[in-house]
Amino acid sequence: MTNIDRRRFIRSAGAAGTAVLLAGCSAERTGNGNGDDGNGNGDDGGNGGDDGNGNGSDDGTANGDGDDEPTTLTVGTYESFLDAPSTSPGEWLKEAFEDEYDVELVWETPSNGLNNYIERSNAGSTIEADLYLGVTTDDLIRVDENADESLFAAAGEIEGAADIREQLVFDPDNRAVPFETGYISLVYDENETEAPETFEGLLADDHRGELLAQSPESQTGRAFLLHTIHTIGEEEYLDYWAELQDNDVRVLGSWSDSYAAYTEGEAPMVVSYSTDQVFANMEDADLSKHQIRFLNDQAYANPEGMARFADSEAIDLAESFMSFVLRPDVQGEIAERNVVFPATTTAELDPEYDEFAHEPPEPVTFTYDELQGNLSDWVDAWNRQFAGN
Amino acid sequence: MTGSTPGTDSSPATDGGADTPVSDADTPDEASRSTGRSDEDSRSIGRSDDRRGRLVRGTEARALQAGAIVTAALLVVVFFYPVSTVFVEAVIVDGSPTLSAFVDILSDRFYLDIFAFTAYQAALSTVLSVAIGLPAAWLLARFEFPGRRTLRSLTILPFVLPSIMVAVGFVATFGANGTLNSALAIIGLGPVELMFTLKAILIAHAFYNAPLVARIVTAAWESVDARAIETARSLGASPLRATLDVVVPQLMPAILMGSALTFIFTFASFPIVLALGGYGLATIEVFIYRQLINLNYTEAAALAIIELVISLGLLYGYLRYEDAKRISRRGVHPPPRRSLLPDRWTPKAAMTRLAIAGYAVIAAFVFLSPIVSMILASVTASDGSFTLAHYAFLLERQATGASFQVRPLGAIRNSLMFALGTLAVAVPMGVVVSVVTTRRYRGRKLVDAIAMAPLAVSGIIVGLGLLRGLVFGVEIAGWRIAVGGSLAIVAAHAVSAYPFVTRNVTPGLAAIDRSMIESARSLGATRTRTLLDIELPLVRAGVVAGAAFAVAISIGEFNSTIVLATGSGEYTMPVAIERYLGRRLGPATAMGCVLLVVTAASFVVVDRFGGDVEERGGGL
Repeated sequence: MTNIDRRRFIRSAGAAGTAVLLAGCSAERTGNGNGDDGNGNGDDGGNGGDDGNGNGSDDGTANGDGDDEPTTLTVGTYESFLDAPSTSPGEWLKEAFEDEYDVELVWETPSNGLNNYIERSNAGSTIEADLYLGVTTDDLIRVDENADESLFAAAGEIEGAADIREQLVFDPDNRAVPFETGYISLVYDENETEAPETFEGLLADDHRGELLAQSPESQTGRAFLLHTIHTIGEEEYLDYWAELQDNDVRVLGSWSDSYAAYTEGEAPMVVSYSTDQVFANMEDADLSKHQIRFLNDQAYANPEGMARFADSEAIDLAESFMSFVLRPDVQGEIAERNVVFPATTTAELDPEYDEFAHEPPEPVTFTYDELQGNLSDWVDAWNRQFAGN
Repeated sequence: MTGSTPGTDSSPATDGGADTPVSDADTPDEASRSTGRSDEDSRSIGRSDDRRGRLVRGTEARALQAGAIVTAALLVVVFFYPVSTVFVEAVIVDGSPTLSAFVDILSDRFYLDIFAFTAYQAALSTVLSVAIGLPAAWLLARFEFPGRRTLRSLTILPFVLPSIMVAVGFVATFGANGTLNSALAIIGLGPVELMFTLKAILIAHAFYNAPLVARIVTAAWESVDARAIETARSLGASPLRATLDVVVPQLMPAILMGSALTFIFTFASFPIVLALGGYGLATIEVFIYRQLINLNYTEAAALAIIELVISLGLLYGYLRYEDAKRISRRGVHPPPRRSLLPDRWTPKAAMTRLAIAGYAVIAAFVFLSPIVSMILASVTASDGSFTLAHYAFLLERQATGASFQVRPLGAIRNSLMFALGTLAVAVPMGVVVSVVTTRRYRGRKLVDAIAMAPLAVSGIIVGLGLLRGLVFGVEIAGWRIAVGGSLAIVAAHAVSAYPFVTRNVTPGLAAIDRSMIESARSLGATRTRTLLDIELPLVRAGVVAGAAFAVAISIGEFNSTIVLATGSGEYTMPVAIERYLGRRLGPATAMGCVLLVVTAASFVVVDRFGGDVEERGGGL
């Protein structure tokens, strides 16, 4: 390489470097909404990946002019809805919806979930998603307590909404439309212990050190804590937990932490989902190690809803999507692929699905109104007691 | 970086400088240089070289300043500004400034107890990490045995392992039915109950941090100037006395620094505490996380600031000590290595070897067993039989995964690219900060401590700051400027990684005899040239160790990566592990093994590329 060549090379490399640097940035004119919204995705150029993330330009048409029918629906959701190692419904749902509506469905999974949209909204940054799939009752409370402006819009007349099981409807303002639910129960290994029938039974000496639970920052851990409050009472749950702690309950961080410890035989009972045997069956595991116990014949229901972002202009398309999700065949597919239960009474489930997916005799859950104003106090009080010892 | 080129010759690094007129290839001088035939041409080359020499020297003189400015700018953009967007929540509540959040926390018995417990477990973790790390450094620095260099390269492998993998390995090793209890049962002891106790947390902290202590101290040990030992011996000192007087003072800064870093990391420990200890042993970081995800920013930020002040205060104390205790040395002259198998089995040699064997057993349980358990989990089916299904899952996900799913090869490629980028940015950054903070001026150690802030601010706070400060963008004159994507990820990784380079380089740099540098300067060498030709070769072991840490930090980083990834294409190996974590441990542990192999290979490459210090060293 001669010096000139070398210098040319370095200079062009420098230029390329600058270009790449710029690719990591995006500039977007603010205020005037009629601009080219699409370039919010300009950063995708920095990917260099092979993931066909070229969806950005389509967003532009979706959000741009109100006259044209949008051709893209961007749906935010949680990661395991798209990418669980066992099974997840994301890919099937995308293809089925696209086939029928001739539009593109773009998934979005922000790193910190719904909090990302709350932050984004408060920062005045654009929300590209039209809809969020997977909002829970406590999510909604957090949204309402923290978003400066209303994040979600009320759902209109959604076809199929009448079929939703009444006890799952959790949003008094009809923004979140329930589409599935899970039940949080005990999973136990019958070779090692016989799980008690009641909450009271967990305090017995036989079960000392036998239960693995999770922190209230995890979905299962929070559901279990709320279940104790629901069943034992707002005034008495702390005393109950003090006794539970005396009986060596292990409250770990995440569901994964505790399930891993359960799998290794560290304790014979774990707070988990009532669909545990579906997975166990999938991998031909020994079902005796995956027994389900509904304490007091109950399980805490954790319904998930879908809600349209207030800023979305794809109102009709978003509502079409909601009705699509509530359709009996789609309800069945989502439930089976996400290993949860459908929200409607009309869902078409494989008749053998309930062989391994168990529903409690009595599902319990707190409504939005019951949780609002109480949730953080309840959890705080629990925290101070449990971690303060 | 080898700095072997003579002073006036232009190095590739300074050649392309766009601001120097010489680099303009259209000037006649340059044209004749490339084709140069006639005498006249040769003369013009001479003139050009003169000019070039001056310009290069000018560029070199400014190179450090430029490096310092770029480093400061990068720190502001991807660290200080983003973090400030979160920290401000602690002192501005509902639009008015207040310190009430701090008053509330510091007068709250509950939080004070949590802080006290957090410091207590961090102190114990530090003691244990040093106790397990120092023998490893001694073994790696003072003995010769087959595979020693590879072992040294792999020391910091635990550093990159995601906490959930470590938790899985720990349950399998130290659990009720774990390897340790099976081993104890064979010799008629046990069982021991370690899980969900403070002991399990401490051992896990040692798993992560003893290698840190070992690697830092090994680098220092390999760079000591031990010639004074002979002098001391000739004056009648015993071998032990001579070593204590000559070598130990030179290692002390590294040992204390390893301790300070261990304390800081374990003080901010969080997932591993909850996975192995449980909520009853919650640390302060658990509550920062809890307040953050519940969007109680005032309390989260105030807790994080108190945590930061404690960590940086400790670090500042250490840096003042390091500065006061600096010992001049004029070269790298480590004492000769001993063979692991002694020539003669004297009682002393036998005792030493017995101690080494005992240590090896402990190390096998603390370091090897959790990793082996993870490897076993990756090839075990749910009925306990051998299976390759989990690896087949990785292949299948690679082949048929949807565009929005995480695929293993993409994760490997991204991790390696980010690590390479981090290496390229963090090593110069770290060296520049070392140089700037070893110069003599008031408050230099304060600058050094503040420059170490990326070590001490909790990752979840940085993640939220990056989201607010960069991803959402800043509104300037009607435009919203947002930053994200691969380059932002590399920048964030580099900011997390450079403190490791600085901490490994600074003690050595500060110890170099100033008179050597002054002679070089008086002979006309620029500050940059002196650094490249004289100082860096003397601290080579520290630079290589820092580089290895930079790679480790980049490969293991999680919080900033997921925040800054703009599309679905920028996932890394730890992100893939988190994604594949389901009800079964298989797929995630299989990906964990991929991470292990790729990282191990990278470390070996970094160490080999950095060269073996004792073969090249020698000094002056």
